[in-house]
Amino acid sequence: MNTYYAANLLIYAGVDIIAVLALNLQFGVSGIVNFSFIVFQAAGAYAAAVLSMPPHTAADYSFQVYFGGYQLPFPIPWIGGALAGGVLAIPVGLVVLRKLRSDYQAIALLVTSIIANTVINNARPFLNGAAGLALVPQPLQDQVDTNTDSYLYLYIALTAVCVGLVWFLAARIVNSPYGRTLRAMREHELAATALGKNPVALKMTMFMVGGAIAGLSGAILVGFLTVWAPSTWLYPETIILFAALIVGGRGNNLGAILGALLVPVGFEEVTRQLIRMNVGPPNVIPALEWVAIGLFILGFLWFRPEGVRPEPRHVFEGSPETELVENVGTA
Amino acid sequence: MSAQPDQRMLVAEDISRHFEGMHAVDGVSLAVPRGKITGLIGPNGAGKSTFMAVVAGTLPASSGTIRFEGEDITRLPTYTRARRGLVRTFQLPSEFARLTVLENLLVAAPHHRGDSLFGALMGKRYWLKDEETLVDEARGLLKRFGMSAKESDYAGLMSGGQKRLLEIMRALMLHPRCLLLDEPMSGVHPRVVEQIQYYLQSLRADGLTILMVEHELHLVEQLCDSVFVMAQGKLIGSGTMASLRRQREIVDAYLVG
Ligand SMILES: Nc1ncnc2c1ncn2[C@@H]1O[C@H](COP(=O)(O)OP(=O)(O)OP(=O)(O)O)[C@@H](O)[C@H]1O
Ligand SMILES: [Mg+2]
Repeated sequence: MNTYYAANLLIYAGVDIIAVLALNLQFGVSGIVNFSFIVFQAAGAYAAAVLSMPPHTAADYSFQVYFGGYQLPFPIPWIGGALAGGVLAIPVGLVVLRKLRSDYQAIALLVTSIIANTVINNARPFLNGAAGLALVPQPLQDQVDTNTDSYLYLYIALTAVCVGLVWFLAARIVNSPYGRTLRAMREHELAATALGKNPVALKMTMFMVGGAIAGLSGAILVGFLTVWAPSTWLYPETIILFAALIVGGRGNNLGAILGALLVPVGFEEVTRQLIRMNVGPPNVIPALEWVAIGLFILGFLWFRPEGVRPEPRHVFEGSPETELVENVGTA
Repeated sequence: MSAQPDQRMLVAEDISRHFEGMHAVDGVSLAVPRGKITGLIGPNGAGKSTFMAVVAGTLPASSGTIRFEGEDITRLPTYTRARRGLVRTFQLPSEFARLTVLENLLVAAPHHRGDSLFGALMGKRYWLKDEETLVDEARGLLKRFGMSAKESDYAGLMSGGQKRLLEIMRALMLHPRCLLLDEPMSGVHPRVVEQIQYYLQSLRADGLTILMVEHELHLVEQLCDSVFVMAQGKLIGSGTMASLRRQREIVDAYLVG
Protein backbone atom coordinates (compact mmCIF):
# COMPACT_ATOMS: atom_id res chain seq x y z
CA MET A 1 0.00 0.00 0.00
CA ASN A 2 2.73 2.42 0.95
CA THR A 3 4.73 1.56 -2.13
CA TYR A 4 1.64 2.07 -4.20
CA TYR A 5 1.15 5.46 -2.68
CA ALA A 6 4.72 6.51 -3.39
CA ALA A 7 4.55 5.08 -6.89
CA ASN A 8 1.34 6.94 -7.53
CA LEU A 9 3.00 10.17 -6.46
CA LEU A 10 6.08 9.61 -8.60
CA ILE A 11 4.13 8.68 -11.69
CA TYR A 12 1.87 11.70 -11.34
CA ALA A 13 4.98 13.82 -10.88
CA GLY A 14 6.46 12.38 -14.06
CA VAL A 15 3.28 12.93 -16.05
CA ASP A 16 2.95 16.49 -14.78
CA ILE A 17 6.59 17.26 -15.50
CA ILE A 18 6.18 16.00 -19.06
CA ALA A 19 3.02 18.05 -19.50
CA VAL A 20 4.49 21.26 -18.10
CA LEU A 21 7.62 20.87 -20.24
CA ALA A 22 5.34 20.67 -23.28
CA LEU A 23 3.35 23.66 -22.13
CA ASN A 24 6.61 25.53 -21.65
CA LEU A 25 7.51 24.95 -25.30
CA GLN A 26 4.13 26.26 -26.36
CA PHE A 27 3.40 29.01 -23.89
CA GLY A 28 6.68 29.76 -22.14
CA VAL A 29 8.88 29.84 -25.21
CA SER A 30 6.57 30.42 -28.16
CA GLY A 31 3.86 32.48 -26.51
CA ILE A 32 0.96 30.27 -27.62
CA VAL A 33 -1.68 30.47 -24.91
CA ASN A 34 -2.87 26.90 -25.32
CA PHE A 35 -5.93 26.81 -23.08
CA SER A 36 -6.90 23.47 -24.63
CA PHE A 37 -3.71 21.73 -23.54
CA ILE A 38 -5.49 19.05 -21.55
CA VAL A 39 -7.41 17.95 -24.66
CA PHE A 40 -4.14 16.76 -26.17
CA GLN A 41 -3.32 14.79 -23.06
CA ALA A 42 -6.80 13.28 -23.26
CA ALA A 43 -6.33 12.43 -26.93
CA GLY A 44 -3.16 10.55 -26.05
CA ALA A 45 -4.88 8.72 -23.22
CA TYR A 46 -7.87 7.68 -25.34
CA ALA A 47 -5.61 6.64 -28.21
CA ALA A 48 -3.41 4.54 -25.95
CA ALA A 49 -6.55 3.00 -24.42
CA VAL A 50 -8.22 1.93 -27.65
CA LEU A 51 -4.91 0.74 -29.06
CA SER A 52 -4.32 -1.58 -26.12
CA MET A 53 -7.89 -2.68 -25.31
CA PRO A 54 -9.68 -5.54 -27.00
CA PRO A 55 -12.77 -4.70 -29.08
CA HIS A 56 -15.72 -3.67 -26.94
CA THR A 57 -17.49 -6.89 -27.93
CA ALA A 58 -14.92 -8.90 -25.95
CA ALA A 59 -16.26 -10.82 -23.00
CA ASP A 60 -15.22 -8.63 -20.07
CA TYR A 61 -15.53 -5.40 -21.99
CA SER A 62 -19.13 -5.53 -23.19
CA PHE A 63 -20.34 -3.06 -20.51
CA GLN A 64 -18.74 -0.22 -22.47
CA VAL A 65 -18.77 0.92 -26.09
CA TYR A 66 -15.90 2.44 -27.99
CA PHE A 67 -14.38 2.36 -31.43
CA GLY A 68 -11.24 0.40 -32.23
CA GLY A 69 -9.83 -2.03 -29.73
CA TYR A 70 -6.67 -3.28 -31.34
CA GLN A 71 -4.92 -5.13 -28.50
CA LEU A 72 -1.53 -3.84 -29.56
CA PRO A 73 1.45 -4.54 -27.32
CA PHE A 74 3.50 -1.99 -25.44
CA PRO A 75 5.06 0.42 -26.48
CA ILE A 76 2.74 0.91 -29.47
CA PRO A 77 -0.08 2.43 -27.35
CA TRP A 78 2.31 5.02 -25.93
CA ILE A 79 3.70 5.88 -29.32
CA GLY A 80 0.16 6.01 -30.65
CA GLY A 81 -0.82 8.31 -27.81
CA ALA A 82 1.94 10.73 -28.74
CA LEU A 83 0.99 10.54 -32.40
CA ALA A 84 -2.67 11.19 -31.58
CA GLY A 85 -1.75 14.35 -29.66
CA GLY A 86 0.46 15.55 -32.48
CA VAL A 87 -2.07 14.79 -35.20
CA LEU A 88 -4.94 16.39 -33.31
CA ALA A 89 -2.85 19.56 -33.16
CA ILE A 90 -3.02 19.89 -36.94
CA PRO A 91 -6.73 20.65 -37.39
CA VAL A 92 -7.00 22.61 -34.15
CA GLY A 93 -3.90 24.61 -35.01
CA LEU A 94 -5.01 25.28 -38.56
CA VAL A 95 -8.33 26.65 -37.37
CA VAL A 96 -7.07 28.64 -34.40
CA LEU A 97 -3.47 29.68 -35.05
CA ARG A 98 -3.58 30.86 -38.63
CA LYS A 99 -5.88 33.84 -38.69
CA LEU A 100 -6.88 34.79 -35.17
CA ARG A 101 -5.22 37.46 -33.08
CA SER A 102 -3.27 35.90 -30.24
CA ASP A 103 -5.64 36.99 -27.47
CA TYR A 104 -8.53 35.50 -29.42
CA GLN A 105 -6.52 32.33 -29.92
CA ALA A 106 -6.52 31.78 -26.17
CA ILE A 107 -10.29 32.11 -25.99
CA ALA A 108 -10.83 29.94 -29.05
CA LEU A 109 -8.68 27.23 -27.51
CA LEU A 110 -10.52 27.41 -24.21
CA VAL A 111 -13.80 27.03 -26.07
CA THR A 112 -12.32 24.13 -28.03
CA SER A 113 -11.48 22.41 -24.78
CA ILE A 114 -15.01 22.79 -23.47
CA ILE A 115 -16.58 21.67 -26.74
CA ALA A 116 -14.33 18.62 -26.99
CA ASN A 117 -15.16 17.56 -23.46
CA THR A 118 -18.89 18.07 -23.96
CA VAL A 119 -18.90 16.12 -27.21
CA ILE A 120 -16.96 13.16 -25.82
CA ASN A 121 -19.08 13.28 -22.69
CA ASN A 122 -22.30 12.95 -24.65
CA ALA A 123 -21.35 10.86 -27.67
CA ARG A 124 -21.36 7.47 -26.00
CA PRO A 125 -20.62 5.12 -28.92
CA PHE A 126 -17.37 6.89 -29.62
CA LEU A 127 -15.47 6.59 -26.33
CA ASN A 128 -18.18 5.44 -23.94
CA GLY A 129 -19.33 8.95 -23.06
CA ALA A 130 -19.39 10.21 -19.50
CA ALA A 131 -18.67 6.80 -17.97
CA GLY A 132 -15.37 6.71 -19.81
CA LEU A 133 -13.15 3.75 -20.49
CA ALA A 134 -12.25 1.16 -17.87
CA LEU A 135 -10.07 -1.94 -17.71
CA VAL A 136 -7.48 -0.34 -19.94
CA PRO A 137 -4.65 -2.92 -20.15
CA GLN A 138 -1.41 -1.92 -18.49
CA PRO A 139 1.88 -1.97 -20.37
CA LEU A 140 3.49 -5.42 -20.41
CA GLN A 141 0.71 -6.91 -18.31
CA ASP A 142 0.96 -10.18 -20.22
CA GLN A 143 4.62 -10.50 -19.30
CA VAL A 144 4.68 -9.09 -15.77
CA ASP A 145 2.28 -9.45 -12.85
CA THR A 146 0.91 -5.95 -12.42
CA ASN A 147 -0.07 -6.49 -8.78
CA THR A 148 3.47 -6.51 -7.52
CA ASP A 149 5.79 -3.85 -6.21
CA SER A 150 8.28 -4.63 -8.93
CA TYR A 151 5.68 -3.73 -11.56
CA LEU A 152 5.33 -0.35 -9.85
CA TYR A 153 9.08 0.11 -10.02
CA LEU A 154 8.99 -0.86 -13.67
CA TYR A 155 6.27 1.68 -14.34
CA ILE A 156 8.21 4.37 -12.52
CA ALA A 157 11.25 3.50 -14.61
CA LEU A 158 9.28 3.69 -17.86
CA THR A 159 7.88 7.06 -16.81
CA ALA A 160 11.34 8.28 -15.89
CA VAL A 161 12.68 7.28 -19.30
CA CYS A 162 9.94 9.35 -20.92
CA VAL A 163 10.66 12.30 -18.64
CA GLY A 164 14.32 12.06 -19.62
CA LEU A 165 13.51 11.89 -23.31
CA VAL A 166 11.14 14.84 -23.19
CA TRP A 167 13.58 16.86 -21.11
CA PHE A 168 16.29 16.13 -23.66
CA LEU A 169 14.13 17.23 -26.60
CA ALA A 170 12.85 20.31 -24.80
CA ALA A 171 16.36 21.34 -23.79
CA ARG A 172 17.64 20.99 -27.33
CA ILE A 173 14.81 23.12 -28.68
CA VAL A 174 14.94 25.80 -25.99
CA ASN A 175 18.73 26.21 -26.12
CA SER A 176 19.01 26.33 -29.91
CA PRO A 177 18.85 29.15 -32.43
CA TYR A 178 15.42 27.75 -33.27
CA GLY A 179 14.35 28.32 -29.68
CA ARG A 180 15.68 31.85 -29.97
CA THR A 181 13.51 32.40 -33.03
CA LEU A 182 10.50 31.11 -31.10
CA ARG A 183 11.22 33.54 -28.28
CA ALA A 184 11.60 36.37 -30.77
CA MET A 185 8.19 35.51 -32.20
CA ARG A 186 6.76 35.53 -28.68
CA GLU A 187 8.23 38.99 -28.05
CA HIS A 188 7.20 40.67 -31.32
CA GLU A 189 5.53 38.55 -33.95
CA LEU A 190 5.34 41.22 -36.65
CA ALA A 191 9.02 42.09 -36.34
CA ALA A 192 9.96 38.41 -36.51
CA THR A 193 7.86 38.07 -39.66
CA ALA A 194 9.58 41.06 -41.20
CA LEU A 195 12.89 39.31 -40.53
CA GLY A 196 11.87 36.30 -42.60
CA LYS A 197 10.31 34.07 -39.93
CA ASN A 198 7.06 32.31 -40.73
CA PRO A 199 5.04 32.60 -37.53
CA VAL A 200 2.27 30.25 -38.59
CA ALA A 201 4.78 27.50 -39.39
CA LEU A 202 6.62 28.09 -36.13
CA LYS A 203 3.44 28.00 -34.08
CA MET A 204 2.05 24.98 -35.89
CA THR A 205 5.28 23.10 -35.30
CA MET A 206 5.29 23.87 -31.61
CA PHE A 207 1.60 23.08 -31.39
CA MET A 208 2.26 19.65 -32.86
CA VAL A 209 5.42 18.95 -30.86
CA GLY A 210 3.69 20.06 -27.65
CA GLY A 211 0.56 18.11 -28.61
CA ALA A 212 2.59 14.95 -29.11
CA ILE A 213 4.32 15.33 -25.75
CA ALA A 214 0.96 15.99 -24.09
CA GLY A 215 -0.39 12.86 -25.80
CA LEU A 216 2.48 10.83 -24.41
CA SER A 217 1.73 12.13 -20.91
CA GLY A 218 -1.88 10.98 -21.33
CA ALA A 219 -0.78 7.54 -22.49
CA ILE A 220 1.45 7.13 -19.45
CA LEU A 221 -1.34 8.20 -17.15
CA VAL A 222 -4.03 5.94 -18.58
CA GLY A 223 -1.68 2.95 -18.54
CA PHE A 224 -1.26 3.45 -14.83
CA LEU A 225 -4.81 4.39 -13.87
CA THR A 226 -6.48 1.91 -16.29
CA VAL A 227 -9.47 4.26 -16.49
CA TRP A 228 -10.09 7.45 -18.43
CA ALA A 229 -13.22 9.60 -18.53
CA PRO A 230 -14.24 13.15 -19.49
CA SER A 231 -14.24 14.17 -15.83
CA THR A 232 -10.46 13.67 -15.72
CA TRP A 233 -9.73 16.24 -18.39
CA LEU A 234 -11.93 19.22 -17.66
CA TYR A 235 -10.49 22.57 -18.69
CA PRO A 236 -9.41 23.58 -15.16
CA GLU A 237 -6.71 20.92 -15.43
CA THR A 238 -5.09 23.14 -18.06
CA ILE A 239 -5.21 26.07 -15.67
CA ILE A 240 -3.32 24.05 -13.08
CA LEU A 241 -0.59 23.36 -15.62
CA PHE A 242 -0.41 27.05 -16.49
CA ALA A 243 -0.16 27.82 -12.79
CA ALA A 244 2.72 25.36 -12.54
CA LEU A 245 4.55 27.05 -15.38
CA ILE A 246 3.97 30.57 -14.09
CA VAL A 247 5.15 29.60 -10.62
CA GLY A 248 8.12 27.63 -11.90
CA GLY A 249 9.25 30.12 -14.51
CA ARG A 250 8.06 30.59 -18.08
CA GLY A 251 10.67 29.84 -20.68
CA ASN A 252 12.82 27.80 -18.31
CA ASN A 253 12.72 24.00 -18.49
CA LEU A 254 14.01 23.61 -14.97
CA GLY A 255 11.36 26.06 -13.84
CA ALA A 256 8.74 23.96 -15.61
CA ILE A 257 9.86 20.91 -13.66
CA LEU A 258 9.89 22.78 -10.35
CA GLY A 259 6.46 24.19 -11.09
CA ALA A 260 5.10 20.74 -11.88
CA LEU A 261 6.35 19.46 -8.55
CA LEU A 262 5.06 22.48 -6.61
CA VAL A 263 1.62 23.02 -8.05
CA PRO A 264 -0.13 19.93 -9.44
CA VAL A 265 1.81 17.44 -7.33
CA GLY A 266 2.26 19.60 -4.25
CA PHE A 267 -1.26 20.95 -4.01
CA GLU A 268 -2.89 17.61 -4.75
CA GLU A 269 -0.75 16.02 -2.10
CA VAL A 270 -1.51 18.59 0.56
CA THR A 271 -5.20 18.33 -0.24
CA ARG A 272 -5.14 14.58 0.02
CA GLN A 273 -3.29 14.71 3.32
CA LEU A 274 -5.79 17.21 4.71
CA ILE A 275 -8.68 14.99 3.70
CA ARG A 276 -7.00 12.01 5.28
CA MET A 277 -6.46 13.93 8.48
CA ASN A 278 -10.17 14.82 8.51
CA VAL A 279 -9.55 18.50 9.08
CA GLY A 280 -12.94 19.54 7.80
CA PRO A 281 -15.92 18.46 5.77
CA PRO A 282 -14.50 16.34 2.92
CA ASN A 283 -15.98 18.39 0.10
CA VAL A 284 -14.73 21.71 1.47
CA ILE A 285 -11.06 20.80 1.22
CA PRO A 286 -11.00 20.21 -2.55
CA ALA A 287 -12.88 23.46 -3.07
CA LEU A 288 -10.35 25.22 -0.88
CA GLU A 289 -7.61 23.65 -2.98
CA TRP A 290 -8.90 25.72 -5.89
CA VAL A 291 -8.97 28.85 -3.83
CA ALA A 292 -5.43 28.16 -2.69
CA ILE A 293 -4.20 27.50 -6.23
CA GLY A 294 -5.89 30.68 -7.44
CA LEU A 295 -4.32 32.77 -4.70
CA PHE A 296 -0.98 31.14 -5.37
CA ILE A 297 -1.11 32.13 -9.06
CA LEU A 298 -2.20 35.67 -8.22
CA GLY A 299 0.54 35.98 -5.63
CA PHE A 300 3.18 34.94 -8.11
CA LEU A 301 1.84 37.16 -10.87
CA TRP A 302 1.87 40.05 -8.44
CA PHE A 303 5.16 39.54 -6.61
CA ARG A 304 7.28 37.34 -8.84
CA PRO A 305 5.82 37.25 -12.35
CA GLU A 306 8.96 35.67 -13.77
CA GLY A 307 8.57 32.63 -11.51
CA VAL A 308 10.95 30.76 -9.24
CA ARG A 309 13.39 30.06 -12.07
CA PRO A 310 13.12 32.88 -14.61
CA GLU A 311 14.10 32.50 -18.22
CA PRO A 312 17.89 32.84 -18.29
CA ARG A 313 19.54 35.75 -19.99
CA HIS A 314 21.89 34.42 -22.63
CA VAL A 315 25.35 35.85 -22.28
CA PHE A 316 27.71 34.74 -25.02
CA GLU A 317 31.30 33.76 -24.55
CA GLY A 318 33.56 36.75 -25.00
CA SER A 319 30.89 39.23 -23.96
CA PRO A 320 32.35 42.41 -22.48
CA GLU A 321 30.07 41.87 -19.54
CA THR A 322 31.91 40.30 -16.65
CA GLU A 323 29.52 40.30 -13.76
CA LEU A 324 26.17 38.64 -14.23
CA VAL A 325 23.32 40.79 -13.11
CA GLU A 326 20.43 38.80 -11.72
CA ASN A 327 17.42 38.81 -13.97
CA VAL A 328 16.07 42.18 -14.96
CA GLY A 329 12.35 42.82 -14.95
CA THR A 330 10.46 43.71 -18.11
CA ALA A 331 10.91 47.28 -19.22
CA MET B 1 10.09 56.82 -62.52
CA SER B 2 12.87 57.96 -64.73
CA ALA B 3 14.99 54.88 -64.07
CA GLN B 4 15.75 52.44 -66.87
CA PRO B 5 13.76 49.18 -66.71
CA ASP B 6 16.72 47.09 -65.59
CA GLN B 7 17.63 49.63 -62.96
CA ARG B 8 14.29 49.51 -61.22
CA MET B 9 14.73 47.24 -58.31
CA LEU B 10 11.35 47.88 -56.80
CA VAL B 11 8.28 49.07 -58.68
CA ALA B 12 4.95 50.01 -57.12
CA GLU B 13 2.07 50.30 -59.55
CA ASP B 14 -1.06 52.12 -58.51
CA ILE B 15 -0.87 51.01 -54.87
CA SER B 16 -3.83 51.81 -52.65
CA ARG B 17 -4.55 50.93 -49.10
CA HIS B 18 -7.64 52.05 -47.28
CA PHE B 19 -8.82 51.60 -43.74
CA GLU B 20 -12.61 51.50 -43.69
CA GLY B 21 -13.01 54.11 -46.36
CA MET B 22 -10.01 56.18 -45.28
CA HIS B 23 -7.51 56.27 -48.14
CA ALA B 24 -4.18 56.09 -46.34
CA VAL B 25 -2.41 55.33 -49.62
CA ASP B 26 -4.24 56.31 -52.77
CA GLY B 27 -2.92 55.14 -56.13
CA VAL B 28 0.80 55.54 -55.60
CA SER B 29 3.10 54.47 -58.44
CA LEU B 30 6.84 54.76 -58.08
CA ALA B 31 10.07 53.00 -58.93
CA VAL B 32 13.05 52.65 -56.65
CA PRO B 33 16.32 52.60 -58.59
CA ARG B 34 18.90 49.94 -57.86
CA GLY B 35 21.93 50.83 -55.81
CA LYS B 36 20.61 54.24 -54.80
CA ILE B 37 19.21 55.80 -51.69
CA THR B 38 15.72 57.06 -52.37
CA GLY B 39 13.85 59.29 -49.99
CA LEU B 40 10.16 59.30 -49.19
CA ILE B 41 8.97 62.46 -47.50
CA GLY B 42 5.67 64.06 -46.64
CA PRO B 43 3.70 65.46 -43.72
CA ASN B 44 2.51 63.40 -40.78
CA GLY B 45 -0.26 61.06 -41.82
CA ALA B 46 0.70 61.30 -45.49
CA GLY B 47 0.69 57.51 -45.77
CA LYS B 48 4.45 56.94 -45.92
CA SER B 49 4.56 54.22 -43.28
CA THR B 50 1.47 52.59 -44.71
CA PHE B 51 3.10 52.54 -48.12
CA MET B 52 6.26 50.97 -46.68
CA ALA B 53 4.15 48.37 -44.90
CA VAL B 54 2.36 47.47 -48.10
CA VAL B 55 5.65 47.13 -49.96
CA ALA B 56 7.09 44.90 -47.23
CA GLY B 57 3.84 42.93 -46.99
CA THR B 58 3.13 43.62 -43.34
CA LEU B 59 -0.12 45.19 -44.55
CA PRO B 60 -1.91 43.80 -47.60
CA ALA B 61 -2.55 46.26 -50.43
CA SER B 62 -6.17 47.08 -51.18
CA SER B 63 -5.19 47.26 -54.84
CA GLY B 64 -2.16 47.66 -57.03
CA THR B 65 0.94 45.65 -57.85
CA ILE B 66 4.41 45.49 -56.37
CA ARG B 67 7.31 44.18 -58.41
CA PHE B 68 10.64 43.31 -56.90
CA GLU B 69 13.43 42.51 -59.33
CA GLY B 70 10.86 42.29 -62.07
CA GLU B 71 8.74 39.75 -60.24
CA ASP B 72 5.21 40.35 -58.98
CA ILE B 73 5.41 39.94 -55.20
CA THR B 74 2.04 41.47 -54.33
CA ARG B 75 0.69 38.17 -53.01
CA LEU B 76 3.82 36.93 -51.30
CA PRO B 77 3.82 36.83 -47.51
CA THR B 78 6.09 39.19 -45.61
CA TYR B 79 8.58 36.53 -44.56
CA THR B 80 9.10 35.37 -48.13
CA ARG B 81 9.77 38.94 -49.24
CA ALA B 82 12.26 39.29 -46.39
CA ARG B 83 14.01 36.07 -47.38
CA ARG B 84 14.32 37.38 -50.91
CA GLY B 85 16.07 40.45 -49.62
CA LEU B 86 13.29 43.01 -49.25
CA VAL B 87 13.55 43.98 -45.60
CA ARG B 88 11.80 46.70 -43.66
CA THR B 89 12.37 48.37 -40.32
CA PHE B 90 9.62 49.85 -38.18
CA GLN B 91 8.95 53.44 -37.25
CA LEU B 92 8.07 52.39 -33.71
CA PRO B 93 10.56 50.34 -31.72
CA SER B 94 10.02 46.66 -32.44
CA GLU B 95 12.83 45.06 -30.47
CA PHE B 96 12.53 41.59 -28.98
CA ALA B 97 12.45 42.95 -25.46
CA ARG B 98 13.36 39.82 -23.49
CA LEU B 99 16.18 38.86 -25.82
CA THR B 100 19.58 40.43 -25.44
CA VAL B 101 20.85 42.94 -27.97
CA LEU B 102 23.17 40.34 -29.47
CA GLU B 103 20.37 37.79 -29.66
CA ASN B 104 18.19 40.33 -31.45
CA LEU B 105 20.78 40.45 -34.19
CA LEU B 106 21.33 36.69 -34.29
CA VAL B 107 17.61 36.03 -34.74
CA ALA B 108 17.69 37.97 -37.98
CA ALA B 109 20.44 35.89 -39.54
CA PRO B 110 19.16 33.83 -42.46
CA HIS B 111 20.34 30.27 -43.20
CA HIS B 112 21.35 29.35 -39.68
CA ARG B 113 21.69 25.58 -39.42
CA GLY B 114 20.30 25.63 -35.92
CA ASP B 115 17.26 27.67 -36.88
CA SER B 116 14.92 24.77 -37.65
CA LEU B 117 13.36 22.04 -35.56
CA PHE B 118 15.62 19.51 -37.22
CA GLY B 119 18.74 21.58 -36.62
CA ALA B 120 17.75 22.18 -33.01
CA LEU B 121 17.21 18.48 -32.34
CA MET B 122 20.55 17.62 -33.93
CA GLY B 123 22.23 19.44 -31.09
CA LYS B 124 24.80 22.10 -30.59
CA ARG B 125 27.59 20.44 -32.53
CA TYR B 126 25.47 20.58 -35.64
CA TRP B 127 25.06 24.35 -35.58
CA LEU B 128 27.86 25.71 -33.42
CA LYS B 129 30.01 26.84 -36.33
CA ASP B 130 27.20 28.88 -37.86
CA GLU B 131 26.53 30.40 -34.48
CA GLU B 132 30.14 31.43 -34.00
CA THR B 133 30.38 33.00 -37.44
CA LEU B 134 27.19 34.94 -36.84
CA VAL B 135 28.20 36.08 -33.38
CA ASP B 136 31.36 37.52 -34.96
CA GLU B 137 29.34 39.25 -37.66
CA ALA B 138 26.87 40.65 -35.15
CA ARG B 139 29.67 41.89 -32.91
CA GLY B 140 31.19 43.64 -35.90
CA LEU B 141 27.95 45.54 -36.41
CA LEU B 142 27.63 46.35 -32.72
CA LYS B 143 31.13 47.75 -32.74
CA ARG B 144 30.38 49.89 -35.77
CA PHE B 145 27.36 51.38 -34.08
CA GLY B 146 29.09 51.81 -30.74
CA MET B 147 26.94 49.32 -28.89
CA SER B 148 29.44 46.59 -28.06
CA ALA B 149 29.13 47.19 -24.35
CA LYS B 150 25.40 46.52 -24.51
CA GLU B 151 25.43 43.15 -26.25
CA SER B 152 24.30 41.14 -23.23
CA ASP B 153 21.62 43.55 -22.03
CA TYR B 154 17.98 42.97 -22.67
CA ALA B 155 16.92 44.89 -25.76
CA GLY B 156 13.83 46.10 -23.92
CA LEU B 157 16.05 48.11 -21.61
CA MET B 158 17.73 50.11 -24.39
CA SER B 159 17.06 53.80 -24.87
CA GLY B 160 14.93 55.03 -27.73
CA GLY B 161 17.94 55.89 -29.87
CA GLN B 162 19.65 52.59 -29.13
CA LYS B 163 16.52 50.77 -30.19
CA ARG B 164 16.62 52.63 -33.50
CA LEU B 165 20.19 51.49 -34.04
CA LEU B 166 19.23 47.95 -33.11
CA GLU B 167 16.44 48.11 -35.68
CA ILE B 168 18.89 48.99 -38.43
CA MET B 169 21.55 46.48 -37.36
CA ARG B 170 18.98 43.71 -37.17
CA ALA B 171 17.82 44.40 -40.70
CA LEU B 172 21.41 44.42 -41.93
CA MET B 173 22.00 40.97 -40.44
CA LEU B 174 19.68 39.64 -43.14
CA HIS B 175 21.97 40.89 -45.90
CA PRO B 176 19.09 42.65 -47.62
CA ARG B 177 19.19 43.66 -51.25
CA CYS B 178 16.63 46.37 -50.70
CA LEU B 179 16.21 48.04 -47.36
CA LEU B 180 13.06 49.92 -46.38
CA LEU B 181 13.87 52.28 -43.52
CA ASP B 182 11.06 54.07 -41.71
CA GLU B 183 12.55 57.12 -39.96
CA PRO B 184 15.75 55.31 -39.00
CA MET B 185 17.35 58.32 -37.38
CA SER B 186 14.58 59.96 -35.42
CA GLY B 187 15.69 60.53 -31.86
CA VAL B 188 19.27 59.54 -32.55
CA HIS B 189 22.19 61.69 -31.39
CA PRO B 190 23.65 63.85 -34.21
CA ARG B 191 27.03 62.18 -33.97
CA VAL B 192 25.48 58.74 -34.33
CA VAL B 193 23.32 60.05 -37.14
CA GLU B 194 26.52 60.94 -38.91
CA GLN B 195 27.80 57.42 -38.40
CA ILE B 196 24.61 55.89 -39.72
CA GLN B 197 24.75 58.23 -42.68
CA TYR B 198 28.29 57.24 -43.40
CA TYR B 199 27.41 53.58 -43.05
CA LEU B 200 24.38 53.80 -45.33
CA GLN B 201 26.56 55.47 -47.94
CA SER B 202 29.10 52.68 -47.76
CA LEU B 203 26.30 50.14 -48.09
CA ARG B 204 25.09 51.99 -51.14
CA ALA B 205 28.59 51.83 -52.58
CA ASP B 206 28.38 48.06 -52.10
CA GLY B 207 25.19 48.03 -54.17
CA LEU B 208 22.44 48.06 -51.54
CA THR B 209 19.20 49.74 -52.55
CA ILE B 210 17.50 51.83 -49.89
CA LEU B 211 14.10 53.46 -49.64
CA MET B 212 13.96 55.70 -46.63
CA VAL B 213 11.28 57.74 -44.91
CA GLU B 214 12.78 60.75 -43.19
CA HIS B 215 11.52 64.06 -41.86
CA GLU B 216 14.87 65.81 -41.52
CA LEU B 217 15.17 67.40 -44.93
CA HIS B 218 18.84 68.26 -44.64
CA LEU B 219 19.57 64.57 -44.10
CA VAL B 220 17.44 63.68 -47.07
CA GLU B 221 19.32 66.21 -49.09
CA GLN B 222 22.70 64.82 -48.11
CA LEU B 223 21.83 61.16 -48.43
CA CYS B 224 19.18 60.63 -51.03
CA ASP B 225 19.85 60.47 -54.75
CA SER B 226 16.20 61.21 -55.45
CA VAL B 227 13.10 61.84 -53.41
CA PHE B 228 9.38 61.11 -53.62
CA VAL B 229 6.89 63.33 -51.89
CA MET B 230 3.57 62.07 -50.54
CA ALA B 231 0.64 64.01 -49.11
CA GLN B 232 -2.79 62.72 -48.17
CA GLY B 233 -2.08 59.30 -49.59
CA LYS B 234 -0.99 60.54 -52.99
CA LEU B 235 2.34 60.97 -54.67
CA ILE B 236 2.65 64.69 -55.36
CA GLY B 237 6.17 64.99 -56.67
CA SER B 238 9.55 63.47 -57.23
CA GLY B 239 13.06 64.49 -58.13
CA THR B 240 16.17 65.66 -56.36
CA MET B 241 15.72 67.60 -53.15
CA ALA B 242 17.05 70.73 -54.85
CA SER B 243 14.51 70.53 -57.66
CA LEU B 244 11.69 69.85 -55.19
CA ARG B 245 12.55 72.92 -53.17
CA ARG B 246 11.86 75.02 -56.23
CA GLN B 247 8.34 73.68 -56.60
CA ARG B 248 5.98 75.94 -54.77
CA GLU B 249 3.06 73.50 -54.33
CA ILE B 250 5.31 70.85 -52.86
CA VAL B 251 6.81 73.21 -50.36
CA ASP B 252 3.26 74.21 -49.43
CA ALA B 253 2.02 70.65 -49.04
CA TYR B 254 4.99 69.69 -46.95
CA LEU B 255 4.91 72.71 -44.73
CA VAL B 256 1.17 72.97 -44.33
CA GLY B 257 0.78 69.22 -43.72
N1 LIG C 1 -4.11 50.39 -38.94
C1 LIG C 1 -4.70 51.56 -39.27
N2 LIG C 1 -6.04 51.72 -39.15
C2 LIG C 1 -6.64 52.86 -39.48
N3 LIG C 1 -6.00 53.94 -39.95
C3 LIG C 1 -4.68 53.87 -40.11
C4 LIG C 1 -3.94 52.67 -39.77
N4 LIG C 1 -2.64 52.90 -40.05
C5 LIG C 1 -2.55 54.14 -40.51
N5 LIG C 1 -3.77 54.74 -40.55
C6 LIG C 1 -4.04 56.09 -41.01
O1 LIG C 1 -3.45 56.23 -42.30
C7 LIG C 1 -2.90 57.53 -42.42
C8 LIG C 1 -1.47 57.42 -42.86
O2 LIG C 1 -0.72 56.90 -41.81
P1 LIG C 1 0.84 56.62 -41.94
O3 LIG C 1 1.30 56.01 -40.67
O4 LIG C 1 1.10 55.87 -43.18
O5 LIG C 1 1.42 58.09 -42.07
P2 LIG C 1 2.93 58.58 -42.18
O6 LIG C 1 3.06 59.29 -43.46
O7 LIG C 1 3.87 57.46 -41.92
O8 LIG C 1 3.00 59.62 -41.00
P3 LIG C 1 4.20 59.96 -39.98
O9 LIG C 1 5.14 60.84 -40.69
O10 LIG C 1 3.51 60.68 -38.86
O11 LIG C 1 4.81 58.68 -39.55
C9 LIG C 1 -3.08 58.22 -41.09
O12 LIG C 1 -4.14 59.13 -41.20
C10 LIG C 1 -3.41 57.12 -40.12
O13 LIG C 1 -4.32 57.55 -39.16
MG1 LIG D 1 5.18 56.98 -40.48
